Amino acid sequence: MAVLSQLEYRFNLFTDAVLQPFLTGVIEVTLWAAILASTATGTLAGFSRESYLAYALWSAFFARTSANWMYEFRMIEEIDSGSVNSVLARPISFYEYYLGQFMGYKILTTALSFVVPVIILSFWPTISHLSRLPLALFVTFVYLVFVLTLSFAISSLAFFFNRVHSLTMAKNIALWVLTGELFPLDLVPEPYRNVLIHLPFANGVYIPVGYLTGRFDHTLVLQGLVSTVIGTAVVGAISFSLWNAGRRRYSGSGA
Amino acid sequence: MKKYLGLLLAFFRASAISDLEYRVNIAAKVLTDIIWYAAQLSVFEVLFRQTTAISGWTLETMRVFMGCLFVVDSFYMLVLQENLDRFSDRVRKGDLDLLLAKPINSQFMMSFQKFSTPYVINIAITTSYLIYALTKVPDFNWWRLLFLIITIPAGLAITYGMRFFFSASALIFTRAENINYVWWQFYKLGTRPDAVYPFWLRYAILTIVPVGFIASVPARLLLEEPSPWLIVGAFSLSALSIYASMRFWRFALRFYSSASS
Repeated sequence: MAVLSQLEYRFNLFTDAVLQPFLTGVIEVTLWAAILASTATGTLAGFSRESYLAYALWSAFFARTSANWMYEFRMIEEIDSGSVNSVLARPISFYEYYLGQFMGYKILTTALSFVVPVIILSFWPTISHLSRLPLALFVTFVYLVFVLTLSFAISSLAFFFNRVHSLTMAKNIALWVLTGELFPLDLVPEPYRNVLIHLPFANGVYIPVGYLTGRFDHTLVLQGLVSTVIGTAVVGAISFSLWNAGRRRYSGSGA
Repeated sequence: MKKYLGLLLAFFRASAISDLEYRVNIAAKVLTDIIWYAAQLSVFEVLFRQTTAISGWTLETMRVFMGCLFVVDSFYMLVLQENLDRFSDRVRKGDLDLLLAKPINSQFMMSFQKFSTPYVINIAITTSYLIYALTKVPDFNWWRLLFLIITIPAGLAITYGMRFFFSASALIFTRAENINYVWWQFYKLGTRPDAVYPFWLRYAILTIVPVGFIASVPARLLLEEPSPWLIVGAFSLSALSIYASMRFWRFALRFYSSASS
């Protein structure tokens, strides 16, 4: 259903899946090239120029895949406007309904957008272990369950507060840093670096991209998967409590 | 002109009343932008731990650059952001019909009807940050702050012209929320000093896609020997941006068919 609804607006889908991450990739690669050109040794924190350029390119695509703006806004809107009534009456839960929609949409956008870095890499070989791509994508898709659960928690707050859209903005901006989208987390000074890498957010960008570009081996990936599962369980418990409490005080009227 | 200034004042008053109804939301909006500022600053604060200069910019001058960016951004958030963000929705839901029937310029109404008054607090925060950054620059000539009287409104006008182009494309494509994300990518080019880019891209962001005028030009006028060409460029490109946005609005309206029932 999500795939079909996205295909209805193909221009919208193209900008989301291809144009946007491509432009981000170009900007980030240029920025990192300038930064590395400014350093005397051509390395930063022990990693080479090529390593950063590869990170910048891939992170744009992984960041786009692992972010959730649109569905979180929709979930909040459903509760805010009262149209959640129609979802409550269905034999599928609100969470399951949106998880299905979200995953369908992400599968489609990932399939479309990942063609771009693969094409770029065939012309501009850089440090990327393409054989690691399936595991990196698996990590991202496990992380997506965590992201949607986080969105579920925020949207459940709409039962209690009138305008929670700002929280979506705040959360997603914080995720820029926490996922490693803005810069690789290994540039962060200790002890923050160690904390950030062990949080589930690192699985959005830093861990899959770092693994793909050879910054570390699969040990950190497995550790990341564990932290995502634990994070999902914790956020899930909070969000289902919020949802149940919110639904108890909610009285649906009309459509 | 007097009528439009009066309207702006009325819009501001009405927006403030409506915003004050949701006080938690005011705090959330201010906090969100502070997180954005912190995220942007964190990039350079982290990078300058590894190097002393990036394309000739030191940590002190980079802070001034970020201060200019934040000041323009906070004005943009106050005046334009909410209006331009809702653009696509208002077109799709037929709100535009009502505005087209009013004896007021429809582009003006679509662009300025709602102020996000919580961002007044952010203007105070970002201005303070810019002043703090300037105090860290050795031998800074404080008279150069007068350049900001020209460059901040110019940066805002250029941002408006470009963002309006993307928002108004909703009239042509009907559902084009994601095109706003493309705008964000262009905007991102302006969130880094122009000197970090290769020549062709630097040229592009000072001419074709003039996002370099948002923060790079104000920062350069503050920190370097002022170039009259940059001032002329800021004036002419801001005027051109506004003019182009008006022409594009008239063009895009031809594609509009009423959406209300």
